[in-house]
This record gives sequence, C-alpha cells and structure tokens, in this order.
Amino acid sequence: MLTPKEIISTLQMVREENLDLRTVTVGINLTDCVSDDIETFKRKIYDKITRTAGQLVATCNRIERRYGIEVANKRISVSPIGVVGAPFNADQMVEIALTLDKAAIELGVDFVGGFSALVEKGMSRGDQALIEAIPQALTESQRVCSSVNVASTRAGLNMDAIKRMGVVIKQAAAMTADDDGLAAAKLVVFANIPQDVPFMAGAYLGIGEADAVVSVGVSGPGVVKAALERAMAEEDNMDLSRAADVIKQTAARLTRAGELVGREVAEILGLPFDIVDLSLAPTPNENDSVGEIFEAIGLPAIGAPGSTAFLAMLNDAVKKGGAFASSHVGGLSGAFIPVCEDLTIARSAAEGTLALEKLEAMTAVCSVGLDMIALPGDTSAEMLSAIIADEMAIGVINKKTTAARLIPAPGKQAGDHVVFGGLLGEGPVMAVNMGSQENRFVRLGGRIPAPIQSLVN
Amino acid sequence: MNKVLISVLGSDQPGIMAKVASIINQHNGNIENLSQTLLDNVFGALLMANLAEDDSAEKLEQSLQDQTRGMNLYIRVHPWQAEPSDWHQNKPETQPYIVTAIGPDRQGLVAEIAGELFKHGVNISNIQAIFKGGKNPMDNLMVFEVDVPRAVVMNDLRDALDAIASRLELEINVQHRRIFESVSNILN
Repeated sequence: MLTPKEIISTLQMVREENLDLRTVTVGINLTDCVSDDIETFKRKIYDKITRTAGQLVATCNRIERRYGIEVANKRISVSPIGVVGAPFNADQMVEIALTLDKAAIELGVDFVGGFSALVEKGMSRGDQALIEAIPQALTESQRVCSSVNVASTRAGLNMDAIKRMGVVIKQAAAMTADDDGLAAAKLVVFANIPQDVPFMAGAYLGIGEADAVVSVGVSGPGVVKAALERAMAEEDNMDLSRAADVIKQTAARLTRAGELVGREVAEILGLPFDIVDLSLAPTPNENDSVGEIFEAIGLPAIGAPGSTAFLAMLNDAVKKGGAFASSHVGGLSGAFIPVCEDLTIARSAAEGTLALEKLEAMTAVCSVGLDMIALPGDTSAEMLSAIIADEMAIGVINKKTTAARLIPAPGKQAGDHVVFGGLLGEGPVMAVNMGSQENRFVRLGGRIPAPIQSLVN
Repeated sequence: MNKVLISVLGSDQPGIMAKVASIINQHNGNIENLSQTLLDNVFGALLMANLAEDDSAEKLEQSLQDQTRGMNLYIRVHPWQAEPSDWHQNKPETQPYIVTAIGPDRQGLVAEIAGELFKHGVNISNIQAIFKGGKNPMDNLMVFEVDVPRAVVMNDLRDALDAIASRLELEINVQHRRIFESVSNILN
C-alpha cells in the first residue's frame, strides 16, 4: 500500500511543479556509415537514424501516458559529423546537416545534435569543413544543433579554434538576422564536453559509446523551488544545511523518475540505457525557472551577491542527489543558468541585477556556462572569441564543463529585446563591457597550454 | 481445519486487540492472519483464525460479544472455507496502476469510478480517501490502487474515466504504480 504522502508528493511533482522529462535522446553511432561518396553517406546515415529511432516518438507517447509524466522533447544525437564526415567539404557538410534535418522531421523528433567537431588540440580537415559549414547548415536546417569542443583540461585551449568560432557565430547570427540571430542559438562552444549529453545544443554521441543508446534528460526547477518553499514555510529549524538536504532529496526523486522512463523506453526500443542527466534546465515559463529557486532561498534576485554561493550549493546538491539515485548519471547534471530560456534570469538581466560579468563568475560553479546570452549586434568576432576564451579557461582550470552559447543579435543594442521562440525563449540583449572592439590577444592564436595538475591552490 | 473469519468494528480504544486475541486464545484458536485499520476514530479489524475441531464460529462469536460488552464493538464470526473467488483462481496477468480522483467529494464518486473499473475487469486492491476539505485540490483526493488485466485497452479505460471526470468536475489520473514507487522509495 502506498502512503498518502507518497501519492501526494508524486502527484504534486507531476501536476503542479512541472516535473518533466525534458528529453529522451537516442544516441546513434554513425561510424559504420562512413563513405567517401557523399550520396552513399547521406543515404546510410538517413537510413540508420530513421531505422534506429523509428519508434522513438510513439514509444515516448506511450510511456508518457503510462506514468503521467510529460516527455517534452524527443531528440537524436549522432557521432560527431566532423569525424564521420571527414572526407567532405563545407558544401557537402551542409548537405549532411540537411539530411540530418530531414531524418529528424521524418521521425517527428524535436532536435538532432552532433553536427559537431572536437578540436581542443587541433583541427582535422573534416573539422575545418564542418566549422566552415555551421552558419549555413544552422540557417537552412530547422532542427539541427551544433557544438564545437575547443578546450579541455588535458589539452588546454585551442585559441585558433576559439578565434575561428567568434567569426562563425557572427556569420550564423548574420544569416538569420530576421530571427534575431537564431542560428547562433543552436550553436554551442564547449570546454570538456561530456560524451553523453542529452541536452541541446550540446548533444552528440561520443566515440566511446555503443552503437545506439537511450539517454534521458530530466529537468524540474519548479519541483526544487516548491520543495524549498515548502520547507522554508513549514520547518522551524530551516538553515542551509537543511536546504541542501531538501535539494538533494528532490534531485534523487527526479532522477528516479527519469531513470524509470529511460529504461523503459530503452527496453521497448531494444537499445541499451546509457545515462540520466539530471539538470535543472529551465523553460521560459512560470514555475519552471532556475532563477525562481534563488528567490525561494531568500536572495533578492539571481545575480545579487550571494548568488554564486547559492549556485555552488545548488549545483552540488543536485549532483549528489542524482548520483545517489542512479548509478549512471552523466551528461551535464547540475544547474543551468541560460538567460533567454529562463523567465526570472531574463528579468534579472533586463533589470540590470545580473550583468555578464556576474554571470561569468557564476558559471565557475554551475554545470554549463554562458548560455543563451544575447549580445549587441555590433559585438565583434574578436570580442566574441575573447568572451569564449574566458569561459573556456574557467572550465579548463576547474576541470569542469563550460560552454558558451552567445547570440550577437543583428541590429540590436544592449537593453533591446530578442525573441527566439519555443524552448529557446526570449530576453534582453546584455551589455558587453568591452572598451575597444579590437583584441590583439585573441588575434595571436596558438594554444594556451594545458594546466598543471598538481600545486592545486 | 476449522477456519473462521472474525470482523471487529467500533470506536478505537486501547485493549480491543488484547481482548479479542485473548478470547480466541481461550478457545484454543490460532490467529493465522490479521489486518487492522483506522478510519478517523473508527477501528476495524479482520482476523483469520483456526479453531479447535470441537469449537464453532457461533460459540466464539458469543464469547467475543459477551466479554467485550461495554466496549461498544460490533463483532461477527463466520465459518470460512478457504475457497478463492473466480478472480483469484483464474487471475489474469495484471499491471498495477494508481487511479487518483482529485477534486471535491461528490455523492456517487466511488460508485461511478469503481463501477467503471469493474466494467473493464479491473480489481481494486486498495482504496483510500484523503479528504482534508478546503480549496487546495490536493487536499481532496481519492486513491484507488488497482490491478489492470493486460487485455484491457488502457486508452479505453482512460477515456471512460475521463468522461466521469468531466461529468463530476474532477480530475482523474491513471498512472502506473511504478512511478510512485520509484520517486518515493530509496530501494528499487
């Protein structure tokens, strides 16, 4: 027999607090599709993707009803196209992106990730072609997402790649000027990218993974906020130790729900279950915001002093709860602080409580990085690269994943409003405190060496 | 074998179980299984006992009633041939689901939902009401723990329950039991 508490708390999570499975992502290895003939390669990847994930959407719909939990997105991630499409030139890379897009549309999935390159140390021919193709690929496709790993703790920072990415982001935004630079919102630059992220835009299937796997991304900032609010209201001896406990327990419950659904989808599809990524990933809706958790704990707003300390605790408690609940927690697992995807964070940024500099500080302790940040349209490519380099350095030195998803919104000034729609949301254009647009440091290129792993202080 | 089923109902108070059990013991009866529950302040218990061959349900009932006079209990004892019902003899393969009706109490709510579940061949294994009154919908909750035969088309069952929900202005959810267990239990 279930106790009333078990029943009520589960129902509350699902009905009122926006527990959802943000995504069930099927990772598909494309290494066996390799060919130096573009038509053969396109046909093989299209066939393999549509064959492997043919039942994904129908299965998710079925499981959704069985458990009464929404699966918000169904997604595909593939082997990095920079690797498996190495023989092809940039124009052909665009064709590959459009093939991925076609497969995604055919399957009815929301996004396909893996139009990616791993270039933390250097760029192969395929990587170069892929990176060159990114602006056009993301402009002409609807559902393709792209990621480029430009740094790692073991390899250091590839400043040539970072310099290049500033230009690529600028181009991608310019080509989608009518949509406030939407293409740049589907492109993320990483340090220490995990091989098994189910979240976009960073999802790809690492080379060390199986032929096809199912991963799940669980979200639920609303559930954490509600649990904290309840504890704050009802408990006499509330302090931060207790708050950490509440977050941890909530994270464990969320992870359990995710693993249950993930394993079941995997079983039905006949694929191995890979990981649960428990990330507090907001959507641009009330009660589904990471910023609201900051207010629930008593901070005036996200970005106010104290925010970095609380984010550190939040991120750590989420990881601890997740790791306890499932033996296969992976991906990014932690708290995201994307500006445009989160109603409260966007509001703090618009009101000036949260500046780019404070966000950067907070990314040292969050699970991703500078995410979904709209910048003035006249931000130079060099300046974008410099911001990326700063963000990557934080990840490399702290042995964590960091990422930058920057959108220089064409024609927009700081304080203007941009709208990307759907999960990508909307928000203010944030000011960049840059002085000159020139940046000789970035222009030097080369590599920033990998950091020493001893003398840790 | 001289099995009996004993039901004990009344206002909750200390000593009910002590008294009932010791009288069964006096009759050289052995309690084989038992369950008790509380509904507000009302006590209810069901006991399964094996009596001595020369004893009977009537005699035990008489002793129980005589010796608990003053406790204001309703006690019945029935002879019991352990013959399982058709359902248990030919139990189909089932899946455990939780049906929750959220919203204010209404006359006929249990009858309607239970009737519909029966129509689909669904067995109710436990039912509980969590009524605290007030406006918060989660404070007015009826929970049916049910076993749904595999042959049942879940969409048909959901549609039928949705129709009841809209007629009674309730929200009815049908969720597989595993979701409740997996988010509530450390062990799974």
